[in-house]
Amino acid sequence: MGLLILFFVWIAIPAVCLAPPLPTRFSPVVEETNSESSMALPSQEGQEAREDEEIRKPVDEKVVRATLAAAHTPAKHGETSGESWIAQRTMVEDYCGWGWIKKDKDSWRQARWVALEGTRGTCPLPHTFLPRPEDDKNYQYRFFGTFAPYRAYEPQADVWVDVFILKGFMSLGPAKEEIRRPPPAQASSGVNRFAERGANVR
Amino acid sequence: MRLLPILCGLSLLGLPLQAHDVLLISGGPALRSFEKYKKASHDKYWGNFIDSALTRAEELKKDLKAGDKIVWLVFRPSYTRRTAEDQTDYLKIIEERGAKLGLSPTYFDNKTQLFTLLRRDGSKEKPKICRLEYFGHSNKKCWMFDYSNRVDGGGLEPLVVHVDDLEKISGSSFTSDAECVSYGCHSGEEFSQRWRMIVGRPMVGAVGKTDYSDGGMPKLSNGKDGSWVY
Repeated sequence: MGLLILFFVWIAIPAVCLAPPLPTRFSPVVEETNSESSMALPSQEGQEAREDEEIRKPVDEKVVRATLAAAHTPAKHGETSGESWIAQRTMVEDYCGWGWIKKDKDSWRQARWVALEGTRGTCPLPHTFLPRPEDDKNYQYRFFGTFAPYRAYEPQADVWVDVFILKGFMSLGPAKEEIRRPPPAQASSGVNRFAERGANVR
Repeated sequence: MRLLPILCGLSLLGLPLQAHDVLLISGGPALRSFEKYKKASHDKYWGNFIDSALTRAEELKKDLKAGDKIVWLVFRPSYTRRTAEDQTDYLKIIEERGAKLGLSPTYFDNKTQLFTLLRRDGSKEKPKICRLEYFGHSNKKCWMFDYSNRVDGGGLEPLVVHVDDLEKISGSSFTSDAECVSYGCHSGEEFSQRWRMIVGRPMVGAVGKTDYSDGGMPKLSNGKDGSWVY
């Protein structure tokens, strides 16, 4: 009898200790079925979400971009086919114009300062989508349209600037750096040379 | 010689020998979408150049010579665009305000049309101009009917009269004693002198800014040592 008990203990203890764990409530149950539509358990979803969170973790740059007011600008608007230019919004206080515009292959040194004219019913100026006109300062766009056959008069510097008629645009996001080149000015009269304009501020 | 007694007779009867036109020109307002957030924001009120011209018309009417008439020229495109922006029919309001003084606006859409309207030969259809007054945006070199309306902070070339354009205005369209005044800013600093040299008639203009903010006739801005000069 004693031998039988020892034999039983010798057999039973390893069987209990080395047995695979019993399935718990949260452990995945792999069922071999022929069905391809196996329902995922909540535990699986949670695991994937955690992995996604790690993958989509917001980068500082993305957070900054998302909080820019210019993020309200539509990604694409108007007629976006045909010849295009790269444009960077540049604001100069009391100076006529919108910013700089260049062809893809050109450098910003070759860019032209333009006054921007929207096309009624087709494409308004990009800043009109934003709370304030300066909200897209140093923002870049791909512009579609043509140069106007006429120029615009810049009253501060008494110069004529090119006019670009905007037919459509695509937002390219914030520029890497500000363009610090001054807009065109006559040699005798720089920007704000005679900045005192009409006081009819009523 | 035969006409002399007739002319003398007419002058004795007090009948005018020839009627003339008094021209008042109203430039256009800026769009608020361009000006709203600027430090020096222009044209919060759309009708600065309308009210001032009409106030002046009322004054001039009192001293108008028999036969002379006031012609009110209004730059239409800026009011049309401001109408669209404010959702208010400003052209209708302009016409109503003019009608109260018996004036009907003559619209022009660009400087070429203005030059045509200024071309006079002294005939009954095109009487000479005995007075011209301008109300609108300007700097020392330019009348800007269009300002911050089509493009931000400036005016389009066909919609402004630069001193280089003055050759297109003939001095023969004016009477020999015609008086001209520009109520825009800085006109007295160069525009007036160039007008006198090219058009041949003196023009009073402002040194410094003019201020329309009190309504009615503009005045020189305070504290800038401004003055009216020929």
